[in-house]
Amino acid sequence: MKAAEIQSTKGFTAESSELKESRPYPPCRAACPVHTDVQAYVADVAEGRYTDAFEVIRSVNPIASACSLICHHPCEQQCRRCGVDEPLGVRHLKRFALEQATDYRRSKRHAVAQTKGKSVAIIGSGPAGLTAANDLADLGYKVTIFEKNPTLGGMLSAAIPAYRLPRVTLQEDIDDVLSKGVEAKTNCEIGKDVTLAELSSKYNAVLIATGLSLSRSLNIPGVDSPGVLLALPFLSDAAYERKVDLGKKTLVIGGGNVAIDVARTAKRLGAENVEMVCLESEEEMPAWSWEVDEAVEEGIKIHYRWGPKAVKASNGKAEGLEVVKVTSVFDESGRFSPKFDQNETMLIEADTIIIAIGQMSDFSFLKDSAVKVDERGRLVWSQATQMSSAPGVFVSGEVVTGPGSAIAAASTGHRVATAIDLYLSGKNIEAALVSDRKDKINEMPKDIIQKLAVQPRGKVAHIEPDARCTSFIQFEAGYDEYTALREARRCRSCGAGAVVNQDKCVACLTCLRVCPYDAPIVTNKAEISPDRCQACGLCVPACPCQAITMVGYDVNAIRNSMPSIIGDKGAEPVIVAFMCSHYAAEKGASLSSNVRKVRVHCTSRVDVHDMLSAFEYGADGAFIVFCGSDDCRYREVYPRVKMRTELAKKMLGATGMDPDRLAYFRTGGEAGSDWVKAIEDMAAKLKEMGK
Amino acid sequence: MIVGQQKKFDEIWEMVKGFRKVMVLGCNTCIAVCHAGGDKEADALASMLKIKAANEKVSMDVSHGAIQRQCENEFFTPVLEDLAKYDLVLSIACGVGVNFLSARIGKTPVYPGVNTQFFGGVPKPGFFEELCGGCGSCVLNLTGGICPIARCSKSLMNGPCGGTNKGKCEVSQDIDCAWFLIVERMKQLGTLEKLFEVQPPRDWSGSFHGGPRRVVVEHLRDIEEKQ
Repeated sequence: MKAAEIQSTKGFTAESSELKESRPYPPCRAACPVHTDVQAYVADVAEGRYTDAFEVIRSVNPIASACSLICHHPCEQQCRRCGVDEPLGVRHLKRFALEQATDYRRSKRHAVAQTKGKSVAIIGSGPAGLTAANDLADLGYKVTIFEKNPTLGGMLSAAIPAYRLPRVTLQEDIDDVLSKGVEAKTNCEIGKDVTLAELSSKYNAVLIATGLSLSRSLNIPGVDSPGVLLALPFLSDAAYERKVDLGKKTLVIGGGNVAIDVARTAKRLGAENVEMVCLESEEEMPAWSWEVDEAVEEGIKIHYRWGPKAVKASNGKAEGLEVVKVTSVFDESGRFSPKFDQNETMLIEADTIIIAIGQMSDFSFLKDSAVKVDERGRLVWSQATQMSSAPGVFVSGEVVTGPGSAIAAASTGHRVATAIDLYLSGKNIEAALVSDRKDKINEMPKDIIQKLAVQPRGKVAHIEPDARCTSFIQFEAGYDEYTALREARRCRSCGAGAVVNQDKCVACLTCLRVCPYDAPIVTNKAEISPDRCQACGLCVPACPCQAITMVGYDVNAIRNSMPSIIGDKGAEPVIVAFMCSHYAAEKGASLSSNVRKVRVHCTSRVDVHDMLSAFEYGADGAFIVFCGSDDCRYREVYPRVKMRTELAKKMLGATGMDPDRLAYFRTGGEAGSDWVKAIEDMAAKLKEMGK
Repeated sequence: MIVGQQKKFDEIWEMVKGFRKVMVLGCNTCIAVCHAGGDKEADALASMLKIKAANEKVSMDVSHGAIQRQCENEFFTPVLEDLAKYDLVLSIACGVGVNFLSARIGKTPVYPGVNTQFFGGVPKPGFFEELCGGCGSCVLNLTGGICPIARCSKSLMNGPCGGTNKGKCEVSQDIDCAWFLIVERMKQLGTLEKLFEVQPPRDWSGSFHGGPRRVVVEHLRDIEEKQ
């Protein structure tokens, strides 16, 4: 028999969703510039709903696929598991979910009706431009993107090396946006092919999202020598597979992420020896530590705390860089202010020197336009309205924020799209444009950390350094399903815990007594600390007044959906299985069609009346599937819910039904076959009882 | 607080089975705290009745709900009219609630789903212990804070009796001898000699034996009624 359709009690209702939004964000969500509901999509992955996970991710992030590979994942850095063991592998889970949902994602693409009758021109198709295009198209505007490069994506396409971000992956994001009816003009440079004034007259609004497209150079002797290159043209040549002449020995100047990209790209383009030199120490270096580690693995040597002094060249060819020792990089107040010891210098030999010390905007296209640039070369704009000095010309992304992450640029794309919509609707932008919310729950209390089981983070495989340096093949593998499902279970659901309805609470202390984490505080009424609550839900069924609910979960969901869960009864006994929603627990278990699954966040949330409701609506049997002790992410669930189940069995017996119609079973987490047998045994027993 | 225990389901079923439209009504104060008759218990009991009715092929429409306290008019005000539409209200409040509602609901019968037990405390999770007899004349100052009326099986005022055995009562090994506890406590307080004073026979008329009792707090009475 084929397994029954999974009956999910995901349990989101309008009320619970509203409650969730009204509470402080978990740190992962607060840290994400677009506030991706990490918890929600991780739960979707854990529960095997990969397309739901995609929807959660994509709803706020139009560059989701790119982020799944290159995001610096501030969510992970803020993850409250950090204190326990290692952060959740959020980026890997995002990648897994998106890969699983690829077909679904493509099938959902469709044009959005351009109901507004107004048009917007967007200059630049990087994260900010793409995001704004996405949002404005969704709102019903006719959107045209102008991109000077041959492909869309901004730096994601023109600079980020393909070993980190394969272009087919990026294309998924771009196709999503284009499918909405967004028009794109590539190889179209403003100021040459079309002027800003022309765009302003032809479109109702214009967005400048041109980012930082120029590399900064150095003002040192010999910098104009042949063999001295700039980072972005170099990366762009590599990205578009244009020929780059590299010598045998390449030296990269800079300590940021772009410098790392440059060095690793040079390695892949055949430079025998690649070295880097930066002002900072290893600890001070601005590049992400994991990217530095990966570069070092690939044999790239880094000279820390040396500053460039002069390019040495002879016979019209660079021969090396003279560097001077750095004594400090930052002043006492933490500002960038490098100091040197001019007595200590050395020469680093190199026939190719690539300068990767930062990027800046190219404002040449603004010449003679109404968009002002100040005396320091910065765009004049208003953060409150996202508008430049020219009415109807908006700005977003790194062109105004300065260097940052792709996802931070995307977040400004959302904001400017809202601003443009307000402007084109004749509304006051400043009054309606809300500021970003920052509230989040606090760090995990130390005593709770000690109560949590260590569960090592799921790892992904990298191609061995020697092998990966020979081409631009993607070097990092994603999670397989087994690893993803296990990893998703590590999420602590921070902040999505219990909430007490103060009107119903009678301060009976029961929640305080059953909570394994001492989260409730009872004075006049119970209050449950979101910092301490681990969202297991043990307190919910324990409350005699039904005063406790869960953030993002409808505690009445099981009861209310039981009639549809039971559905039509066939000849076989109908068995309701209450189980942990973690898909890992049942994956591989081929269950017969008479089994009705009720999947909950944890069986801790299953109440006596939930169990009885199965029989109330005609089930022949029911049982609770407990996770094994090593698999349950909560404490005390098994003994507590076992007692609860024993009570329900007694109550069932009191009504005259055989108490053995309700049973419980502890699985080994992935031991699907174990509980196939348990269910078969129960079905046989029920038949003996006459169903 | 008042402690009670839900009646055996068979007994409840016998009471209820003849009615078609039944409301199981919980009380979210004392009886909820002892997990016998709050919102949650009303929900579960209603579920049991539905299962039983279906198995017995009895047509019965069962609803459930709870109010904050079944011993005060104000809490009934918003629901009394609705309650009167049922054939039966099965109250799982303490007996006070059953009496109280019964006097106000009109023709609808109100039956008890709970056996009201005692005034008790919660020494540890899941345990409820009788600590006060509600005798109307408190003597705890004489007995080291241990109530001989509620906690001595014979309610002796000059104990212990000959049935005390290594700190336990002859009635059951599960019952502590209250007078053993009183002696130990008085020792601890350094007031053991007080126990040599023989207590005279008590006036029980303030307890169950003088008829139903009433307490009036004059300054809280309705102005109109008082006038």
